[in-house]
Amino acid sequence: MDKKSGDLNIAIFFCRQLDPDQDVNRRTLEKEMGERIRFFPLPCSGRIDSLHLMRALEAGADKVYLVTCPEGACHYREGNLRAKKRIAYAQSLIQEISLDRDRLELVVTAPGKRLTIDELARELLSRDDKGAKA
Amino acid sequence: MITAERKPIAEIKEMIAACKKVLVVGCGSCVAECAAGGEKEVGLLSSALRMDAKASGKDLEIREMTLDRQCVYEFIDQLTDVIDQYDIVLSLACGAGVQAVAEVFPKVPIVPALNTTFLGETKEAGLWIENCRGCGDCKLGFFAAVCPVTRCAKGLFNGPCGGSRTDRCEVDPDVPCAWQLIISRLEATGRLDLLRKVHPPADWSKQQGKGPRKISREDQRA
Repeated sequence: MDKKSGDLNIAIFFCRQLDPDQDVNRRTLEKEMGERIRFFPLPCSGRIDSLHLMRALEAGADKVYLVTCPEGACHYREGNLRAKKRIAYAQSLIQEISLDRDRLELVVTAPGKRLTIDELARELLSRDDKGAKA
Repeated sequence: MITAERKPIAEIKEMIAACKKVLVVGCGSCVAECAAGGEKEVGLLSSALRMDAKASGKDLEIREMTLDRQCVYEFIDQLTDVIDQYDIVLSLACGAGVQAVAEVFPKVPIVPALNTTFLGETKEAGLWIENCRGCGDCKLGFFAAVCPVTRCAKGLFNGPCGGSRTDRCEVDPDVPCAWQLIISRLEATGRLDLLRKVHPPADWSKQQGKGPRKISREDQRA
């Protein structure tokens, strides 16, 4: 990944239970960033499949995030635990082709800290910016 | 069900290294059930191979297909119109499927993406266990449907070895003692008298020693 962080194509898969207004909130950032950011709302993060993550990378995402509810707070009880296993499998697969496993990242939101999906995405993007500058 | 596991990608890459056009073919039966060679696994492997080729500047075209079964001609025939357009077929079937496709298309290289492992059962989501060796001389009727050839580490036919502890096998404590299961189930179904029968050593000639086995049934033939 030679691009500067500001030029990265980002895909964010997220549990829509995290933000009841995600449909409106994510569009704000989508308008701002254009095609460089793609949001994929899921009914639960447990709906994710390793194939979704692989296809996102293949379609040109430099970084793919999978955002889940806090541990123990999944609306469907165990969805976020399953999400963790699915991303781990995809990470091992991309490692086999010498891609950095961090291109796929699991983000487990903190309990008690409720952010809208655009706020959360901005946090992730600024963290990437700091990482790139460091 | 026949179970299998994907080969390491490095090994797969080596087999298709000289090819530019690869047909990746899955099988929708046993290997799909054990999450090794179905449509989804074809997608995962193809994605990985395409990304790898792109990263290394290699020109590689991959098409994904999944047949309902790769071991039956009527399904293999679906490849007839497309197979000539590819340098190689990467098959995600069991060993039988790979060979069946190669038999039908002898001029096209067919290589396996999976290691075929055993005849097994889906115990729970993501867990498959071996419970049949395909020995050709099934004795499950005497053993309360627990195969001592496969599930007893020592393959004992005439009673337990005596080494089990708290119902677990002394060879592998993760596995229940097959003979404990046999006796409990026979007891539960009132058939303990079956244990009086002494079984001679297995006739392994029905499994091996005479080359590949075959089953031929006139009533099923065209």
